[in-house]
Amino acid sequence: MRWNICSKTSLLLAFHVATAFALHEQFDEDLHLRPLRDGKLLSRFSFTTLLKGATPRDPQLLSVDDEAQHYTLFPLALGQVLREHAVTELHLSLNAGRWNYEAWGYPDEPGVGTGAELWAWMGDSTQTSVDQRWQGLRNALAGLFCASLGHLDEQRTTSPSLTFQPEGSLPNFTYPHRLRHATLPSEHVCTENLTPFLKLLPCKSLSGIASLLNPHRMFDADWHGLGVHVRYREDAGVEVRLTFQAVFDPVRSSNDRRRDWSLRSTFDRSIERACPVAHSSKVRVELPHGPSPYSITPEPTGISDSVATYAVDASDEALDVALRWPTEGSFEYPNTSKVPPLTDVSVRRTLKGTSQAEAQLTLVITNNLPVQVSTGYLETMPWHLQFYLHTLKASVNGAARDDLVSILSYMPPVPHSRPALLQAVLTLPPSSTLHLTMDVLKPFLRYTEHQPDAQRGWDLPPAVLVPFAFGETASQNHTVSQPAGTIQGSLVRPRRIYTSILLVDLATPDFSMPYNVIILSCTLIALLFGSVFNCLTRKIAIARVGPTPTSAARQEDHTPAPEPQAQ
Amino acid sequence: MDDPSLLALVAVRVALAFAPVPETFKYDQQLSSPLTAYSRLREGIYLFDHGVDPYSGGSFRHSPLLLSLFSTALPLTRYTSPVLWTAADVLAAWALARIWRLRTGAKYTKRDKQVIALYLFNPYILLPSLALSTSSIENSLTLLSLMFASRGRASASLFVFAILIHISLPSLLLLVPILLLSISRPVSSLTVPHPFAGDPKGALPLLGEFLGYTALLSFASTLVCGNWSWIEKTWGAFITLPDLTPNPGLWWYFFTEMFDHFRPFFLLVFTVHLLIYIAPICIKFQHDMLYAVFLLVGILAVFKPYPTLSDPGLFISMFSLFPETYPYLRHPIVTGLIHLHASLLLPLFNSLWLRQGTGNANFFYASTLVFGMGNGAALLDAVWAGLRVAIGKLDDGYEVVQE
Repeated sequence: MRWNICSKTSLLLAFHVATAFALHEQFDEDLHLRPLRDGKLLSRFSFTTLLKGATPRDPQLLSVDDEAQHYTLFPLALGQVLREHAVTELHLSLNAGRWNYEAWGYPDEPGVGTGAELWAWMGDSTQTSVDQRWQGLRNALAGLFCASLGHLDEQRTTSPSLTFQPEGSLPNFTYPHRLRHATLPSEHVCTENLTPFLKLLPCKSLSGIASLLNPHRMFDADWHGLGVHVRYREDAGVEVRLTFQAVFDPVRSSNDRRRDWSLRSTFDRSIERACPVAHSSKVRVELPHGPSPYSITPEPTGISDSVATYAVDASDEALDVALRWPTEGSFEYPNTSKVPPLTDVSVRRTLKGTSQAEAQLTLVITNNLPVQVSTGYLETMPWHLQFYLHTLKASVNGAARDDLVSILSYMPPVPHSRPALLQAVLTLPPSSTLHLTMDVLKPFLRYTEHQPDAQRGWDLPPAVLVPFAFGETASQNHTVSQPAGTIQGSLVRPRRIYTSILLVDLATPDFSMPYNVIILSCTLIALLFGSVFNCLTRKIAIARVGPTPTSAARQEDHTPAPEPQAQ
Repeated sequence: MDDPSLLALVAVRVALAFAPVPETFKYDQQLSSPLTAYSRLREGIYLFDHGVDPYSGGSFRHSPLLLSLFSTALPLTRYTSPVLWTAADVLAAWALARIWRLRTGAKYTKRDKQVIALYLFNPYILLPSLALSTSSIENSLTLLSLMFASRGRASASLFVFAILIHISLPSLLLLVPILLLSISRPVSSLTVPHPFAGDPKGALPLLGEFLGYTALLSFASTLVCGNWSWIEKTWGAFITLPDLTPNPGLWWYFFTEMFDHFRPFFLLVFTVHLLIYIAPICIKFQHDMLYAVFLLVGILAVFKPYPTLSDPGLFISMFSLFPETYPYLRHPIVTGLIHLHASLLLPLFNSLWLRQGTGNANFFYASTLVFGMGNGAALLDAVWAGLRVAIGKLDDGYEVVQE
């Protein structure tokens, strides 16, 4: 206990010292918990550091020595990367699992595509090109987060600027900003990514909300993903937001199949003490609005809009929020056919066909709203799957409706170097399902281009849908989806919907054969070459064979008998 | 072409063209290579019509001439395409029959119909045509150019040949014998070898004319595309082999399995190897340039970078022009059996590897080796017979030997 007081005093002291240095830096942390209707629990950690009054580096000044960077709270390792490569806006997400939009609704952090996704807005410059800095950036981040981001090379990089608009503002540099975007669906997030992630936080995982980030529990979740978001807010400064989202299944982990949860049961930890340098530190719990009664302990600091808020820094006690449904026995899963989907649009993307040379891509998009919806459709496909756009067919209820698809831009892929970029707008009739089919070609790779586990196939990135225009009566009926303004920073982002990733099996050569093939093919060529030239270069002549009819003839035979004819 | 039986042949071909072909034909790798596939042509036209430069990507590698033709004058639809491809084949068969008549010097011969039927119903010609592979168009351009050259109409021949080169660069092998053929006569002189009759210097202005046509067409192509990227995408593909889709030829698996640092070297070797044959064949068969063309077509059928079944098909159909060599083919039965063997194995092993998943790439590679052997054997038969025919029939007790 004595130690506890001591540590608290020293922490308090540290806090004062830190605030003295960190007047121009502000750190906020936030944990958002939302029980989902299928008994799961969505948790979203958000750690925001704002560097007040800072501006992103102008790439035109890359040759000039940069100003000194003295950060107290702002993560230095990340800050150096951002300055070094003059990045204005950066979004990195590393996710594992498939986000279930139908049952879980829109995620708080929109970037939930399986695997790694990195996109950045960078100012163009005459000194070093955007692509050079993009390469440096992804290699630096690969080192920083122990992820294979180095594989996000030009074979996976596109610039889909319609879908990935900047979330902050772009400063007015000499040259316009460019977007670079790449996904690596086969990347998996695990504890080696979480450790460097925690190191970027001012309190690490020692105190505050971040102490709940227990890798044993986080990576046991049904879905989990971490994100790094850097943006420039013109009125405030440069903001770095580190996020961690996870979907837990309390039903699975409880003995009597109840959906009750508490911080301790979910994370195996409670919040023992607040992070002293945090400007604000909040735990927010969205209260359930089902028929069965619930109880929440301890008493929240405040409740508004059915969101219970706990201020972590206010309490001296360890905080262990618990939500219980006392009258409920074992959890009964809702009948999915009776409850409406939680998103405006549901999408399913599959690859059909048994051949290793061609296949068919199908996209089934259901409009859950009773109004017409326009949605952006983005495919950033590596050249491992090549579209036959002329076979693109759209149909609604079996009737061809090719007029519902309009292709905005298409950049065909270049084998061995560039992915395809397809941006289209789909018009979805009210409460109906649009079927898109397209033939695709599976290319054949050089044997050195295959992955070590070649037979497994290649993961293909998710497609992204962005519903953007709703029909006339949208204002009344647009209640299906959940409010998006719950995100801190209250910026309403466009809601991106990621489809599941695909696995394509490409034909493989026999990897043990290079020498054999060289030998066999060259033998055949040499054989034919030799035979042809044998015929062409040697004269054809007639020779007498067998016993000669007379001995006189035998005498003559001593002289050369052949009689050259053909040249 | 006014004979009712010929009309019947054409009618059967048209009926076949409209018959429901199996869906697998569309993407079959033996019937169309990445450079001749109908689906890729359609994709290129689609992109071109929608304002995307089709040569900015990597899947469209057809000539800008085909692109401009089919995106404007002759739109490809379900009904026009079979008609166009059948027409190309009929044109080729007609040109082949004309060459045959010019070779014999007769206005009409009994073999005319056989020659036409052998072309129209050669399975190696028929199946790629049903799959709408543009190799059918290449074949008809080759035969048309040969026909004009045989008639002595050098300009027409060279213009058609320049178009052919635009569509398929490896056909450049035929340039020298076609030039020489257009200043000599196509009559058969295999039995009486003699030095080249005309003056080879007379071919030089023709060469200039050919270069002029090529430059003109290149310029027109550049106007169509708006830039020069088509050269790298169409002609460059024959030299750098960017697409390793399997085909019945010898290149694809070799360069799939090739070590990266040896790739440029072997690409060079394979390309130069094709060129080696021109001079010896043209010198050895200077008395019969048509036969030299025929042999070089055979070389292309075996060693071309992106062959389809049409290429050996053209070689086999051209055999019908040289009946005088039939008795002297070296091992016709062996060659025929190898061909039969390979033509059964090719589709089987391709399907086992890529569709059933029960075989691997080596299965199909082995069958392409057998196919190469069969085509090579046919080529050797033809080379041998072309030389052997000069000696004629031998009495007992004598044998032909090579010194």
